[in-house]
Amino acid sequence: MTSKLKLLISGSMAAALLASAAPAFAAGTTAGTVITNNVTVDYQVGGVAQTQRTASDNFTVDRRINLTVAEVGAVTTSVVPGQTGASVAFTLTNTSNAPLDFALAASQQAGGTAAHGGTDNFDITGLSLFRDVNGNNTYDAGTDTAITFADELAADASITILVVGNIPGTQLNGDVAGVRLLATAREAGTAGSLGAAITETVGANTAGVDTVFADAAGVIDAARDGAHSDDDDFTVVTATLNVTKTSRVISDPVNNTTNPKMIPGAVIEYCIAVANTGSAAATNVAINDPVPGQLTFNAGTILLNGTVTGATCNADGSAGGSYVAPNVSGTIATIAAGATRTLVFRATVN
Amino acid sequence: MRLFLLAFLGLMAAPAAANPVALSNSVFVERVSTDAKGNRKIVLEEPKVVTPGDRLVFVLNYRNASGKPAEKFVVTNPMPAAVQYAEAGDGNAVVSVDGGKSWGALAALRVPDGNGSQRPARAEDVTHIRWALNAPIPAGGTGKLMFRGIVK
Repeated sequence: MTSKLKLLISGSMAAALLASAAPAFAAGTTAGTVITNNVTVDYQVGGVAQTQRTASDNFTVDRRINLTVAEVGAVTTSVVPGQTGASVAFTLTNTSNAPLDFALAASQQAGGTAAHGGTDNFDITGLSLFRDVNGNNTYDAGTDTAITFADELAADASITILVVGNIPGTQLNGDVAGVRLLATAREAGTAGSLGAAITETVGANTAGVDTVFADAAGVIDAARDGAHSDDDDFTVVTATLNVTKTSRVISDPVNNTTNPKMIPGAVIEYCIAVANTGSAAATNVAINDPVPGQLTFNAGTILLNGTVTGATCNADGSAGGSYVAPNVSGTIATIAAGATRTLVFRATVN
Repeated sequence: MRLFLLAFLGLMAAPAAANPVALSNSVFVERVSTDAKGNRKIVLEEPKVVTPGDRLVFVLNYRNASGKPAEKFVVTNPMPAAVQYAEAGDGNAVVSVDGGKSWGALAALRVPDGNGSQRPARAEDVTHIRWALNAPIPAGGTGKLMFRGIVK
């Protein structure tokens, strides 16, 4: 043969090709597609064109089962104690080359490091799954619909799934609850019902469409098991209030304000300091303090929303509050995270 | 010279074959496996399990079964719709990115970019592959052509 053609399947060439990155075909050619390669040859013999020759070859594209479950966003979801309908969002994407149903299962993490670094230490209640109908990645009661499986998800299609639950009212600032979503590929079957389980074609290949699992390992499932999972977490962010009450003698009838003593007729100043050591502002902080029977409240002495310097009450703030015997009360509109605010009043020793 | 003439006459006298050029078109899946020593091994398999992203090797074997040289031997292979062109295994191959109207090396071809101008053609634009053999295939001569593709 005098053609310049060479033996073409050389190892080195194949290696060079395979080293290059494979292009991304997300879902790709639909399973069951028959790929036919036709080739035609034109030639001449003795200068005369001959009848064109053709040849063809067929093979069938098999079904590759692949899916991804991924949390939406990359930060924890802040919740407050007693919150109902708290949600985290996941996207489920069918990267198979066939439409499929997906069974869905939400579960609670049991201790250990949660998705965003905290330590899981509580479970949410009323764990349930919803489809994010309005696409805002947040549960909206009455809008988003409860689901137990993803129905007839086309190749390359994705849906957003909300894992929804309630936060117990007893949780403290910084508590973390990890949740996980596991999706398992099922046959598409009929619309409106969850299809049958899928098994990978093992052993000898069949002439028809075989099934190959190609999914990666998730947080609670293995690679190539026809399922995928991801985790997310809730972190309780709330105000944590610590109250301290201090008092000092302002004056007495004998010494006046010079080294006053706690004798009858002395004026005592009380300082109720509310420190917010939590991570969220506390609002409408109502303070109520019954004045002891041995004291008489001095009208007009209540100062609200004052400050402290270290542990020392500055006895500042603005007039406010009220006195309904025997209780002094006042409401501080907002105590920011990390801040301390005071209620100050004076009374006279009987 | 005399021997050659005799041989030539003998060929001339042979009856014309029913299929003067025999073709055999086949496809393989190219898989890479790594052995315990870390050596990569490339295996060509029958296309029994084929899923998107798999690399395919299309092979055309030809044989001139006639008694005469076959000249101006031109092989044309449209890309199957579900296969993206990756590489022709031979420098003599030309490709078309316009359904077979014009031909050339991939690097020399351009396609509309959808915005009224042209951009350099890429592998995924290839619609046909063609080989035009320079030399006649002698009587009884055989050969092999191949290209690689990827299942979309």
